[in-house]
Amino acid sequence: MGGERLGPRLAVVAFAIIAVSAVAAPWLAPEPNRIDLESVLAPPSTDHWLGTDGLGRDVLSRLAHGARVSLGVGVVTALVAALIGLPLGAVAGYRGGVWDGAVSRAIEAALCFPGLLIALAILSLAPPWLARLPDTLRLAAALGFLGWTPSARYLRAEFLRLKTGEEILAARAAGASGLRIVVRHLLPRSLAPILVTIAFGASAAALGEAALSFVGVGISPPTPSWGEMLFEAMRHMGTAWWLALFPGLALFVTVYGWNGLAEGVRNWLDPRPRAL
Amino acid sequence: MSRGRIFGAAALALAALTLGCAGPAAHPRTDARVVIYAEPSSLSLVGNPDNNSAQIASMISDGLVAYDARGNFAPMVAASWDVAPDALTITFHLRDGVRWQDGTPVTSRDVAFTLSKVRDPAVQSRSWVSLFADVTGLETPDDRTLIVHYSKPYADALDAWRVPLLPEHLASKDSDFLNGAFAHHPVGCGPFRFVSHEPGQNVILEAFDGYWQGRPSIDRLVVRIVTSDRTGYESLLLGDVDLMAVPSDLWRESLSSHRAVRLARFVYYRLMLWKIDWNQDGSNPFFTDPRVRRALIFALDRKRFAATVVNGLARPAAGSYLPESAWTDPSIAPIPFDAAEAGRLLDEAGWHLPAPGSVRVKDGKPLAFTMLLVAGSQEIADRIAAWMQESVRAVGVDMRIEKLEWRAFQERRKTHRFEAAMASNVVDPTPDQFDLYHSSARNGGFNYGGFSDPETDRLLEAGRMTIDPAARRAVYWKLQARLHELEPMSVLFQFSQPVLHDPDLLGVTASPVGLFSFTPGPRAWHWAGATPSR
Amino acid sequence: MTAAARRLVTAAVTLVLVTLIVFALLVALPGDASGDDETARRLPDEYRAALRAQYHLDDPLAIRYARWIGDVARGDIGASLREHRPVAAILRERLPASLALNGAALAVVIMIATPLGIGAAWKPGSSLDRAGLAATTALYAVPVFWMALLLQWLFAVRLGWLPLFGIEGDERAGGSLARTADIFRHLVLPVTCLSYGSLAYVSRFVRTALVDAAAGDGGRPARARGATALRYVTVHGTRQAAVPLLTLAGFLIPRLVGGSLLVEEIFNVPGLGSLLFDSVLGRDVPVVLALTLLSGTVTLAAITGADLLAAWADPRVRHGR
Repeated sequence: MGGERLGPRLAVVAFAIIAVSAVAAPWLAPEPNRIDLESVLAPPSTDHWLGTDGLGRDVLSRLAHGARVSLGVGVVTALVAALIGLPLGAVAGYRGGVWDGAVSRAIEAALCFPGLLIALAILSLAPPWLARLPDTLRLAAALGFLGWTPSARYLRAEFLRLKTGEEILAARAAGASGLRIVVRHLLPRSLAPILVTIAFGASAAALGEAALSFVGVGISPPTPSWGEMLFEAMRHMGTAWWLALFPGLALFVTVYGWNGLAEGVRNWLDPRPRAL
Repeated sequence: MSRGRIFGAAALALAALTLGCAGPAAHPRTDARVVIYAEPSSLSLVGNPDNNSAQIASMISDGLVAYDARGNFAPMVAASWDVAPDALTITFHLRDGVRWQDGTPVTSRDVAFTLSKVRDPAVQSRSWVSLFADVTGLETPDDRTLIVHYSKPYADALDAWRVPLLPEHLASKDSDFLNGAFAHHPVGCGPFRFVSHEPGQNVILEAFDGYWQGRPSIDRLVVRIVTSDRTGYESLLLGDVDLMAVPSDLWRESLSSHRAVRLARFVYYRLMLWKIDWNQDGSNPFFTDPRVRRALIFALDRKRFAATVVNGLARPAAGSYLPESAWTDPSIAPIPFDAAEAGRLLDEAGWHLPAPGSVRVKDGKPLAFTMLLVAGSQEIADRIAAWMQESVRAVGVDMRIEKLEWRAFQERRKTHRFEAAMASNVVDPTPDQFDLYHSSARNGGFNYGGFSDPETDRLLEAGRMTIDPAARRAVYWKLQARLHELEPMSVLFQFSQPVLHDPDLLGVTASPVGLFSFTPGPRAWHWAGATPSR
Repeated sequence: MTAAARRLVTAAVTLVLVTLIVFALLVALPGDASGDDETARRLPDEYRAALRAQYHLDDPLAIRYARWIGDVARGDIGASLREHRPVAAILRERLPASLALNGAALAVVIMIATPLGIGAAWKPGSSLDRAGLAATTALYAVPVFWMALLLQWLFAVRLGWLPLFGIEGDERAGGSLARTADIFRHLVLPVTCLSYGSLAYVSRFVRTALVDAAAGDGGRPARARGATALRYVTVHGTRQAAVPLLTLAGFLIPRLVGGSLLVEEIFNVPGLGSLLFDSVLGRDVPVVLALTLLSGTVTLAAITGADLLAAWADPRVRHGR
């Protein structure tokens, strides 16, 4: 299955470019918030490669800094989700019984909550130590709190599948402790789905940030975020195509890139032939 | 609407992917289709009114008086009125021949009934009830006469009587007014009759043949409820809507779009302003000093922002008294852009720059504050804030921005837990801005920053009591000078409202309160070739 | 008590707990539903107090919740604090559009994603599998409001084939057939926008379920008996995959209430997504609770139903874990 996966590879390359520009943004584009009222909504030119926005700010600079937000929110969201979801999924899958029942009911309950209310509650009722964090981190925490169920579900399913395997039964027969079985035997075998859910979670977070910006409860100005940029772009669809095109492409590549990464990780770690 | 059909539609939606098309319908040219941006909260004319309900109500029923196109009071159902010398009694003389849309004559008892409904908390008439606070009694000696008694003289007493009148014989039957038959099928004495309401879709009105000023020329008025302004704009371009107020971005787009060339356009100034509340109750060391408040405004090049960012659809404001009002002193100019003056004022107030390019400091405290913004609907706020942040940084001030959703924002303002807060605000054409500035309006009113100045209080109180227009104008001019000096809150901009409409729709005018809630309003609209009023 | 009854009771308790937490969070948010609207003048204090009293906003929270749940038990879901009319009436207005939109979207997703998943599972790793995966993943990555604006521009503005927004035209003189067709035409674009993003997830889910089922007990003997691959996939695979599909439905249904907000806003569909959004922002406690109850009941019913079905169909599950 090696060389023919051109699509995901391209996505990963484009994604890598975005990741590099996110890291290098402070040097590449030191002033994403510099306002130039003399060149409001200027189309792409040699001065501004990707044009300017409604305040004359350079779209390329904001895109690069926005990458920090989008990738950062993605990673932190996925980590928060994994931190909540994985232990629950592990306990449910391994211990089973009452534990499994409790976690499964918790997952079901989580699905019944209106996500917007939870996000708002976390953003506005945050305890002081959380409120002092930059709002990108708070947003990521909120999104992560909303998105823990997939990782719990996948790990639970994975453990349920694995724990009846011969090797695990052998280890248990040899008297290995539960913790040891989980850490030494189950977790390494579940690495693929774990990483995949983290990557998928990160891509969902990138879209979630954009959607929250769109409904107006996203990140405060002037922090550039792709969601905020896309929201502004909608107002200029007919005149300033560059405002919608580039952040949209960047978001697309990022989401696609996270997914490509997830697929790649899965194939690398878990080359189980998935054939009939 | 039929639920069954919609379910059927759902089942067959796949087939619809391949379904054919039909072009836009031809114009019947007797109806006009307009856009509002949110569902009216109630159609009961006075119950639970928001701005959208109020606009629709003003077309269905008239008040005793109405604003004219300049914001002055015009006689409507009341043909005339006499104010007693002590200003504690007003006698209204109702016009002959005004009829409800069911043909029954309008009487003074209907007016008294309307007030009783407005005052009933179950009716939730929040925007009207406070205007009647000083009314102590009503007399209806005959069908055409209404005598109103007041507890104290109030120069703007007429303002309350713009309230759309309710027909007692129809509106008194429902035990639950807001959910009763009347609220679902209101009847008034205005130029348009209510026909139907599809929630989330439209409200349809029809010309009232027996209207006392003559039947409107527009037969049918379809008020479309469109939540996305871009969607509304596109349907205007497609000819599915005839008239729409657009935000500045879409106005900019329409100027360069060949699809918008055919449209007629105009711009008017509304009584809406963008203001900043500065918390001056001593909880922060910055804004108790008027020099700091003024300095921050001197740091802003508002003219350039208005010209470039919003295509000239805004102008710097001198304060909350806007040029549209007859009570505004035209000699007071907005604070100009002058960064040097900003620096001088800040130095004078004790905020000094430790080094060029740094943040000013006083008593070891940096001049760093947080500006609250409302998240959501009005994205122009984001741009104003980002621009202001850059502008004040140039004079050594560190402004941070925090965006909150509306209720959280309002809660912070009402409980005075903020340093600065920016939001848009609507003011009345009447000059009484007691609730914005009076020291008693800190709690419960709109003086969120806790401004307190005895001279201002005195002038605000005098303005309410002074009936003679010339003397009253003098009071308000004095007040405006005082406010200009102290800058208790800062009005950055007054935004104008661009309107696009079908060029064949004639007679469209605007007032400082909008396109609908004034006389003549939509009653004067007519299509090219039709007579203005039949 | 049988296992099934125990499951049902647990689901009911879960639902009550969810509404309790939603209630607590909503009242803890800053601000409440009473008159924070922008009015020109300040309200008289006694009037403001009367407004608050009308909706018991100053009562102890425990009493407010207990009153609500007591009313619900009697079949009354209360009155909206913003619109001052029964929540049931509001839901009756909003539900048809939401059901039409989301039901159609769910149908479209399943009708497109299931064949895609079956095709992919038929020959995993084939070019069909990879192309389907790449295409659906790409679609997933397109932000929905981008797609919405693009489709509006192309099909409504440029080509004029479909209406720009709404669920029905203003003019409804035509017969019932014409009206149904009109509603179709209005649904096409929003349904497209609601469905394309889920194709990747659902087709992948179907593919994995089928592949796993094939790797499990049922597949090999069937193969050994000489069943063709196609017959295998359609008969054996699908049967094995029925339970996971039901589970999937349980996880997709919550989106039907809150998930369509952006699409509803852009296409001006008065559905439950925008109602929930406005009600949370407006602190309209009864409406938010009613929506939670509605989506929670449907979600839990689907998940519990899937579990019970799985237990009934699969002897391993039936006889303990």
